[in-house]
Amino acid sequence: MRATSRAADRAFFTGLARAFGGAILFALPLLMTMEMWWLGFYLSRTHLVVFTVLMIPLLVALDYYSGFEETRNWREDLMDGMIAYGVGLAASFFILALFGVIDASQTPREIVGKVAIQSVPASFGAVLANSQLAGDAESDDGQKRRKEQAGYGGQILFMVAGAVFLAFNVAPTEEMILISFVMTRWHALLLLVASLLVMHGFVYGAGFRGTPRAPEGTSQLSLFLRYTVVGYAVALLVSAYVLWTFGRFESTPFLACLETTLVLAFPASLGAAAARLIL
Amino acid sequence: MTEKQRRVDDGGKGGGLRSRWESVAAALSTALVLGVIGYLAYEAVARPHTPPAVEVVQESVQRAGSGWVMEFRAYNQGFSTAAAVTVEGKLEKDGEEVETSEAVLDYIPGRATRRGGLFFREDPRAHQVELRAMGYQEP
Repeated sequence: MRATSRAADRAFFTGLARAFGGAILFALPLLMTMEMWWLGFYLSRTHLVVFTVLMIPLLVALDYYSGFEETRNWREDLMDGMIAYGVGLAASFFILALFGVIDASQTPREIVGKVAIQSVPASFGAVLANSQLAGDAESDDGQKRRKEQAGYGGQILFMVAGAVFLAFNVAPTEEMILISFVMTRWHALLLLVASLLVMHGFVYGAGFRGTPRAPEGTSQLSLFLRYTVVGYAVALLVSAYVLWTFGRFESTPFLACLETTLVLAFPASLGAAAARLIL
Repeated sequence: MTEKQRRVDDGGKGGGLRSRWESVAAALSTALVLGVIGYLAYEAVARPHTPPAVEVVQESVQRAGSGWVMEFRAYNQGFSTAAAVTVEGKLEKDGEEVETSEAVLDYIPGRATRRGGLFFREDPRAHQVELRAMGYQEP
Protein backbone atom coordinates (compact mmCIF):
# COMPACT_ATOMS: atom_id res chain seq x y z
CA MET A 1 0.00 0.00 0.00
CA ARG A 2 2.86 2.37 0.82
CA ALA A 3 4.37 1.89 -2.60
CA THR A 4 1.13 2.54 -4.47
CA SER A 5 0.49 5.60 -2.33
CA ARG A 6 3.89 6.97 -3.23
CA ALA A 7 3.24 6.23 -6.90
CA ALA A 8 -0.07 8.08 -6.63
CA ASP A 9 1.70 11.04 -5.01
CA ARG A 10 4.30 11.10 -7.76
CA ALA A 11 1.62 10.92 -10.45
CA PHE A 12 -0.21 13.80 -8.81
CA PHE A 13 2.82 16.07 -8.56
CA THR A 14 3.82 15.26 -12.14
CA GLY A 15 0.31 16.28 -13.17
CA LEU A 16 0.57 19.44 -11.11
CA ALA A 17 3.91 20.39 -12.68
CA ARG A 18 2.43 19.76 -16.10
CA ALA A 19 -0.55 21.97 -15.20
CA PHE A 20 1.83 24.82 -14.28
CA GLY A 21 3.68 24.32 -17.55
CA GLY A 22 0.44 24.40 -19.52
CA ALA A 23 -0.78 27.47 -17.63
CA ILE A 24 2.36 29.46 -18.44
CA LEU A 25 2.46 28.29 -22.06
CA PHE A 26 -1.16 29.21 -22.75
CA ALA A 27 -1.13 32.51 -20.85
CA LEU A 28 2.27 33.89 -21.81
CA PRO A 29 1.11 35.91 -24.86
CA LEU A 30 -1.47 37.66 -22.68
CA LEU A 31 0.83 37.94 -19.67
CA MET A 32 3.04 40.01 -21.96
CA THR A 33 0.21 42.20 -23.32
CA MET A 34 -0.04 45.60 -21.63
CA GLU A 35 -3.74 46.05 -22.42
CA MET A 36 -4.35 43.04 -20.18
CA TRP A 37 -2.51 44.71 -17.28
CA TRP A 38 -4.58 47.85 -17.75
CA LEU A 39 -7.82 45.90 -17.95
CA GLY A 40 -6.77 44.37 -14.63
CA PHE A 41 -7.33 47.68 -12.84
CA TYR A 42 -9.89 49.58 -14.88
CA LEU A 43 -12.26 46.76 -15.80
CA SER A 44 -15.61 46.88 -14.04
CA ARG A 45 -15.36 44.64 -10.96
CA THR A 46 -18.91 43.43 -11.56
CA HIS A 47 -18.03 42.21 -15.06
CA LEU A 48 -14.84 40.64 -13.77
CA VAL A 49 -16.50 38.77 -10.92
CA VAL A 50 -19.21 37.39 -13.21
CA PHE A 51 -16.57 36.12 -15.64
CA THR A 52 -14.53 34.59 -12.80
CA VAL A 53 -17.56 32.72 -11.47
CA LEU A 54 -18.58 31.46 -14.94
CA MET A 55 -15.08 30.03 -15.43
CA ILE A 56 -15.69 27.43 -12.70
CA PRO A 57 -18.37 25.34 -14.48
CA LEU A 58 -16.46 25.69 -17.77
CA LEU A 59 -13.23 24.40 -16.21
CA VAL A 60 -14.99 21.56 -14.41
CA ALA A 61 -16.72 20.48 -17.61
CA LEU A 62 -13.45 20.71 -19.56
CA ASP A 63 -11.73 18.69 -16.89
CA TYR A 64 -14.37 16.00 -17.33
CA TYR A 65 -13.25 15.52 -20.95
CA SER A 66 -9.57 16.33 -20.83
CA GLY A 67 -8.44 17.18 -17.33
CA PHE A 68 -4.94 16.89 -15.95
CA GLU A 69 -5.88 13.81 -13.95
CA GLU A 70 -8.09 10.88 -14.72
CA THR A 71 -11.36 11.36 -12.92
CA ARG A 72 -14.02 8.99 -11.72
CA ASN A 73 -16.89 11.16 -10.58
CA TRP A 74 -18.17 14.72 -10.63
CA ARG A 75 -16.67 15.46 -7.22
CA GLU A 76 -13.20 14.75 -8.57
CA ASP A 77 -13.93 16.82 -11.65
CA LEU A 78 -14.90 19.69 -9.36
CA MET A 79 -11.70 19.20 -7.34
CA ASP A 80 -9.53 19.04 -10.45
CA GLY A 81 -11.30 22.02 -12.00
CA MET A 82 -10.62 24.06 -8.87
CA ILE A 83 -6.98 22.92 -8.80
CA ALA A 84 -6.61 24.00 -12.44
CA TYR A 85 -8.10 27.39 -11.53
CA GLY A 86 -5.81 27.67 -8.52
CA VAL A 87 -2.80 26.76 -10.67
CA GLY A 88 -3.89 29.39 -13.22
CA LEU A 89 -4.09 32.08 -10.52
CA ALA A 90 -0.78 31.08 -8.93
CA ALA A 91 1.06 30.86 -12.26
CA SER A 92 -0.28 34.28 -13.35
CA PHE A 93 0.75 35.80 -10.04
CA PHE A 94 4.29 34.43 -10.19
CA ILE A 95 4.92 35.41 -13.81
CA LEU A 96 3.49 38.92 -13.37
CA ALA A 97 5.60 39.36 -10.23
CA LEU A 98 8.64 38.06 -12.10
CA PHE A 99 8.07 40.66 -14.82
CA GLY A 100 7.63 43.38 -12.19
CA VAL A 101 4.15 44.12 -13.54
CA ILE A 102 2.78 43.62 -10.04
CA ASP A 103 4.69 44.67 -6.96
CA ALA A 104 4.16 45.49 -3.32
CA SER A 105 3.63 49.21 -4.00
CA GLN A 106 0.38 48.52 -5.86
CA THR A 107 -3.06 48.37 -4.30
CA PRO A 108 -4.68 44.95 -3.68
CA ARG A 109 -7.40 45.97 -6.14
CA GLU A 110 -4.83 46.35 -8.90
CA ILE A 111 -2.93 43.14 -8.11
CA VAL A 112 -6.03 40.96 -7.70
CA GLY A 113 -7.55 42.41 -10.87
CA LYS A 114 -4.44 41.76 -12.96
CA VAL A 115 -4.06 38.21 -11.67
CA ALA A 116 -7.77 37.38 -11.94
CA ILE A 117 -8.00 38.37 -15.59
CA GLN A 118 -4.83 36.47 -16.55
CA SER A 119 -6.05 33.37 -14.74
CA VAL A 120 -8.60 32.80 -17.52
CA PRO A 121 -6.13 31.69 -20.24
CA ALA A 122 -3.77 30.26 -17.61
CA SER A 123 -6.37 27.94 -16.10
CA PHE A 124 -7.37 26.79 -19.59
CA GLY A 125 -3.72 25.87 -20.07
CA ALA A 126 -3.64 24.07 -16.73
CA VAL A 127 -6.70 22.00 -17.54
CA LEU A 128 -5.56 21.18 -21.07
CA ALA A 129 -1.98 20.40 -20.09
CA ASN A 130 -2.85 16.75 -19.80
CA SER A 131 -4.44 16.20 -23.16
CA GLN A 132 -1.83 18.26 -25.00
CA LEU A 133 1.42 17.80 -23.08
CA ALA A 134 1.20 14.39 -21.43
CA GLY A 135 3.67 11.75 -22.54
CA ASP A 136 2.26 8.71 -24.30
CA ALA A 137 2.94 6.42 -21.36
CA GLU A 138 0.61 8.49 -19.25
CA SER A 139 -2.20 9.09 -21.67
CA ASP A 140 -5.50 8.22 -20.11
CA ASP A 141 -7.41 5.66 -22.07
CA GLY A 142 -10.56 6.36 -20.11
CA GLN A 143 -10.37 10.07 -20.95
CA LYS A 144 -9.78 9.30 -24.62
CA ARG A 145 -12.82 7.08 -24.72
CA ARG A 146 -14.83 9.78 -23.01
CA LYS A 147 -13.66 12.36 -25.53
CA GLU A 148 -14.53 10.17 -28.49
CA GLN A 149 -17.92 9.48 -27.03
CA ALA A 150 -18.54 13.15 -26.28
CA GLY A 151 -22.06 13.75 -27.47
CA TYR A 152 -23.56 16.85 -29.02
CA GLY A 153 -23.40 18.66 -25.68
CA GLY A 154 -19.71 17.83 -25.38
CA GLN A 155 -19.02 19.17 -28.86
CA ILE A 156 -20.81 22.42 -28.00
CA LEU A 157 -18.75 22.66 -24.81
CA PHE A 158 -15.50 22.26 -26.78
CA MET A 159 -16.64 25.00 -29.13
CA VAL A 160 -17.48 27.35 -26.23
CA ALA A 161 -14.06 26.71 -24.66
CA GLY A 162 -12.19 27.23 -27.94
CA ALA A 163 -14.15 30.39 -28.71
CA VAL A 164 -13.56 31.84 -25.22
CA PHE A 165 -9.83 31.12 -25.41
CA LEU A 166 -9.25 32.63 -28.86
CA ALA A 167 -11.62 35.57 -28.28
CA PHE A 168 -9.89 36.30 -24.98
CA ASN A 169 -6.51 36.31 -26.70
CA VAL A 170 -7.35 39.05 -29.19
CA ALA A 171 -10.19 41.00 -27.54
CA PRO A 172 -8.03 43.11 -25.18
CA THR A 173 -6.34 44.99 -28.02
CA GLU A 174 -7.63 48.21 -29.58
CA GLU A 175 -7.34 46.62 -33.00
CA MET A 176 -10.70 44.85 -32.64
CA ILE A 177 -12.47 48.21 -32.63
CA LEU A 178 -10.11 49.72 -35.18
CA ILE A 179 -10.78 46.90 -37.68
CA SER A 180 -14.53 47.38 -37.31
CA PHE A 181 -14.03 51.10 -38.06
CA VAL A 182 -12.02 50.34 -41.18
CA MET A 183 -14.47 47.73 -42.50
CA THR A 184 -17.48 48.62 -44.61
CA ARG A 185 -20.83 46.81 -44.26
CA TRP A 186 -19.81 44.62 -47.18
CA HIS A 187 -16.60 43.61 -45.47
CA ALA A 188 -18.59 42.67 -42.38
CA LEU A 189 -20.97 40.54 -44.41
CA LEU A 190 -18.11 38.84 -46.24
CA LEU A 191 -16.33 38.22 -42.96
CA LEU A 192 -19.41 36.41 -41.67
CA VAL A 193 -19.52 34.16 -44.74
CA ALA A 194 -15.76 33.59 -44.58
CA SER A 195 -15.99 32.63 -40.90
CA LEU A 196 -18.61 29.98 -41.68
CA LEU A 197 -16.68 28.56 -44.66
CA VAL A 198 -13.33 28.48 -42.89
CA MET A 199 -14.93 26.90 -39.85
CA HIS A 200 -16.59 24.15 -41.85
CA GLY A 201 -13.54 23.54 -44.01
CA PHE A 202 -11.28 23.44 -40.99
CA VAL A 203 -13.21 20.64 -39.34
CA TYR A 204 -14.45 18.60 -42.29
CA GLY A 205 -12.34 19.53 -45.29
CA ALA A 206 -8.73 19.96 -44.26
CA GLY A 207 -8.23 16.40 -43.00
CA PHE A 208 -6.50 17.30 -39.76
CA ARG A 209 -5.83 14.69 -37.14
CA GLY A 210 -8.89 14.39 -34.92
CA THR A 211 -11.48 15.13 -37.59
CA PRO A 212 -14.78 13.96 -36.10
CA ARG A 213 -16.27 10.95 -37.84
CA ALA A 214 -19.84 11.54 -38.86
CA PRO A 215 -22.19 8.54 -38.96
CA GLU A 216 -22.67 7.02 -42.44
CA GLY A 217 -25.19 8.80 -44.59
CA THR A 218 -24.98 12.16 -42.81
CA SER A 219 -25.25 14.89 -45.40
CA GLN A 220 -22.84 17.83 -45.50
CA LEU A 221 -25.80 20.16 -45.14
CA SER A 222 -26.86 18.47 -41.93
CA LEU A 223 -23.31 18.70 -40.53
CA PHE A 224 -23.12 22.32 -41.64
CA LEU A 225 -26.36 23.25 -39.91
CA ARG A 226 -25.86 21.20 -36.75
CA TYR A 227 -22.21 21.98 -36.10
CA THR A 228 -20.86 24.86 -38.19
CA VAL A 229 -23.83 27.22 -37.95
CA VAL A 230 -24.39 26.38 -34.29
CA GLY A 231 -20.66 26.78 -33.67
CA TYR A 232 -20.70 30.19 -35.32
CA ALA A 233 -23.65 31.22 -33.17
CA VAL A 234 -21.62 30.09 -30.14
CA ALA A 235 -18.66 32.16 -31.38
CA LEU A 236 -20.90 35.23 -31.82
CA LEU A 237 -22.38 34.93 -28.33
CA VAL A 238 -18.99 34.31 -26.73
CA SER A 239 -17.47 37.27 -28.62
CA ALA A 240 -20.27 39.58 -27.55
CA TYR A 241 -19.92 38.41 -23.96
CA VAL A 242 -16.13 38.87 -23.91
CA LEU A 243 -16.43 42.35 -25.47
CA TRP A 244 -19.09 43.30 -22.93
CA THR A 245 -16.83 42.03 -20.14
CA PHE A 246 -13.98 44.20 -21.42
CA GLY A 247 -16.31 47.21 -21.46
CA ARG A 248 -16.16 47.63 -25.25
CA PHE A 249 -19.93 48.11 -25.54
CA GLU A 250 -20.19 51.05 -23.14
CA SER A 251 -21.93 54.01 -24.75
CA THR A 252 -21.46 52.49 -28.21
CA PRO A 253 -24.29 52.31 -30.77
CA PHE A 254 -25.72 48.87 -31.53
CA LEU A 255 -24.37 48.67 -35.08
CA ALA A 256 -20.80 49.38 -33.96
CA CYS A 257 -21.13 46.72 -31.24
CA LEU A 258 -22.39 44.23 -33.82
CA GLU A 259 -19.52 44.98 -36.19
CA THR A 260 -16.91 44.55 -33.46
CA THR A 261 -18.61 41.29 -32.47
CA LEU A 262 -18.40 40.06 -36.07
CA VAL A 263 -14.70 40.90 -36.16
CA LEU A 264 -14.02 39.04 -32.93
CA ALA A 265 -16.24 36.14 -34.00
CA PHE A 266 -13.78 35.35 -36.79
CA PRO A 267 -10.96 34.22 -34.49
CA ALA A 268 -13.52 32.90 -31.99
CA SER A 269 -15.14 30.67 -34.62
CA LEU A 270 -11.74 29.34 -35.67
CA GLY A 271 -11.02 28.65 -32.02
CA ALA A 272 -14.33 26.83 -31.74
CA ALA A 273 -13.57 24.72 -34.82
CA ALA A 274 -9.99 23.98 -33.75
CA ALA A 275 -11.11 23.00 -30.26
CA ARG A 276 -13.22 20.20 -31.73
CA LEU A 277 -10.12 18.81 -33.42
CA ILE A 278 -7.65 19.35 -30.61
CA LEU A 279 -9.59 18.70 -27.43
CA MET B 1 -6.61 0.61 2.63
CA THR B 2 -5.53 3.30 5.06
CA GLU B 3 -7.68 6.22 6.02
CA LYS B 4 -5.60 8.64 4.03
CA GLN B 5 -6.00 6.80 0.78
CA ARG B 6 -9.23 5.78 -0.72
CA ARG B 7 -10.17 3.86 -3.74
CA VAL B 8 -12.83 5.81 -5.48
CA ASP B 9 -15.96 4.01 -6.55
CA ASP B 10 -15.61 3.95 -10.28
CA GLY B 11 -18.34 1.58 -11.29
CA GLY B 12 -15.88 -1.21 -12.04
CA LYS B 13 -13.92 0.62 -14.75
CA GLY B 14 -10.60 -0.22 -13.12
CA GLY B 15 -9.72 1.71 -9.99
CA GLY B 16 -7.12 4.38 -9.46
CA LEU B 17 -5.53 5.55 -6.28
CA ARG B 18 -5.53 9.28 -5.80
CA SER B 19 -2.85 11.07 -3.87
CA ARG B 20 -3.93 12.62 -0.58
CA TRP B 21 -2.04 15.73 -1.65
CA GLU B 22 -4.77 16.24 -4.17
CA SER B 23 -7.27 17.06 -1.43
CA VAL B 24 -4.76 19.53 0.01
CA ALA B 25 -4.24 21.18 -3.39
CA ALA B 26 -7.98 21.23 -4.02
CA ALA B 27 -8.66 22.85 -0.66
CA LEU B 28 -5.96 25.50 -1.18
CA SER B 29 -7.11 26.21 -4.72
CA THR B 30 -10.74 26.49 -3.69
CA ALA B 31 -9.78 28.92 -0.94
CA LEU B 32 -7.71 30.94 -3.45
CA VAL B 33 -10.44 31.03 -6.11
CA LEU B 34 -13.18 31.89 -3.61
CA GLY B 35 -10.90 34.50 -2.07
CA VAL B 36 -10.38 36.21 -5.42
CA ILE B 37 -14.09 36.02 -6.25
CA GLY B 38 -15.02 37.30 -2.80
CA TYR B 39 -12.57 40.20 -3.02
CA LEU B 40 -13.74 41.18 -6.51
CA ALA B 41 -17.37 41.01 -5.38
CA TYR B 42 -16.53 43.15 -2.35
CA GLU B 43 -14.80 45.70 -4.60
CA ALA B 44 -17.80 45.65 -6.94
CA VAL B 45 -20.29 46.35 -4.16
CA ALA B 46 -18.38 48.38 -1.59
CA ARG B 47 -16.48 50.84 -3.80
CA PRO B 48 -18.18 54.17 -4.42
CA HIS B 49 -17.97 55.50 -7.98
CA THR B 50 -16.06 58.67 -7.23
CA PRO B 51 -14.29 60.39 -10.15
CA PRO B 52 -10.49 60.54 -10.21
CA ALA B 53 -8.88 63.21 -8.05
CA VAL B 54 -5.14 63.40 -8.58
CA GLU B 55 -2.84 64.99 -6.04
CA VAL B 56 0.75 65.64 -7.14
CA VAL B 57 3.53 65.80 -4.55
CA GLN B 58 7.19 66.68 -5.05
CA GLU B 59 9.61 63.92 -4.08
CA SER B 60 13.14 65.08 -4.86
CA VAL B 61 15.17 67.49 -6.99
CA GLN B 62 18.44 66.43 -8.59
CA ARG B 63 20.79 67.59 -11.31
CA ALA B 64 20.01 66.04 -14.69
CA GLY B 65 22.46 66.88 -17.46
CA SER B 66 22.64 70.64 -17.87
CA GLY B 67 19.38 71.12 -16.00
CA TRP B 68 17.37 69.68 -13.13
CA VAL B 69 14.86 66.91 -12.66
CA MET B 70 12.07 67.03 -10.14
CA GLU B 71 10.65 63.62 -9.28
CA PHE B 72 7.00 63.58 -8.26
CA ARG B 73 4.39 61.22 -6.95
CA ALA B 74 0.80 61.40 -8.23
CA TYR B 75 -1.85 59.88 -5.98
CA ASN B 76 -5.38 59.27 -7.23
CA GLN B 77 -7.73 59.82 -4.30
CA GLY B 78 -10.79 58.82 -6.31
CA PHE B 79 -11.88 55.24 -6.94
CA SER B 80 -11.96 55.47 -10.76
CA THR B 81 -8.95 55.06 -13.00
CA ALA B 82 -7.59 58.18 -14.71
CA ALA B 83 -5.89 57.75 -18.10
CA ALA B 84 -3.51 60.16 -19.85
CA VAL B 85 -3.05 62.37 -16.81
CA THR B 86 -1.09 65.52 -17.65
CA VAL B 87 1.02 66.81 -14.76
CA GLU B 88 2.24 70.39 -14.93
CA GLY B 89 5.02 71.91 -12.89
CA LYS B 90 5.41 75.70 -12.71
CA LEU B 91 8.40 77.60 -11.35
CA GLU B 92 7.68 81.11 -10.07
CA LYS B 93 9.83 83.89 -8.67
CA ASP B 94 8.41 87.02 -7.09
CA GLY B 95 4.99 86.14 -8.46
CA GLU B 96 6.27 85.83 -12.01
CA GLU B 97 6.25 82.66 -14.03
CA VAL B 98 9.79 81.54 -14.88
CA GLU B 99 9.35 78.12 -16.45
CA THR B 100 6.76 75.37 -16.94
CA SER B 101 7.19 71.69 -17.75
CA GLU B 102 4.72 68.87 -18.16
CA ALA B 103 4.64 65.09 -18.16
CA VAL B 104 1.89 62.61 -19.10
CA LEU B 105 1.13 59.53 -16.98
CA ASP B 106 -0.59 56.75 -18.96
CA TYR B 107 -2.75 55.46 -16.14
CA ILE B 108 -3.34 56.10 -12.46
CA PRO B 109 -5.68 53.44 -11.06
CA GLY B 110 -8.12 54.43 -8.32
CA ARG B 111 -6.46 54.82 -4.93
CA ALA B 112 -3.05 54.18 -6.48
CA THR B 113 0.20 56.08 -6.85
CA ARG B 114 2.29 56.54 -9.99
CA ARG B 115 5.65 58.30 -10.25
CA GLY B 116 7.23 60.55 -12.85
CA GLY B 117 9.67 63.40 -13.33
CA LEU B 118 9.71 66.95 -14.72
CA PHE B 119 12.79 68.52 -16.32
CA PHE B 120 13.63 72.16 -15.70
CA ARG B 121 16.45 74.42 -16.94
CA GLU B 122 16.40 76.43 -13.68
CA ASP B 123 16.96 75.00 -10.21
CA PRO B 124 13.47 74.38 -8.77
CA ARG B 125 14.82 74.78 -5.25
CA ALA B 126 15.52 78.45 -5.92
CA HIS B 127 11.89 79.01 -6.99
CA GLN B 128 8.36 78.60 -5.80
CA VAL B 129 7.02 75.37 -7.27
CA GLU B 130 3.43 74.72 -8.21
CA LEU B 131 2.57 71.13 -9.14
CA ARG B 132 -0.83 70.01 -10.35
CA ALA B 133 -2.67 67.48 -12.51
CA MET B 134 -4.30 69.25 -15.44
CA GLY B 135 -6.86 66.65 -16.53
CA TYR B 136 -7.46 63.08 -17.47
CA GLN B 137 -9.22 60.79 -19.91
CA GLU B 138 -11.57 57.94 -19.05
CA PRO B 139 -9.88 54.66 -19.96
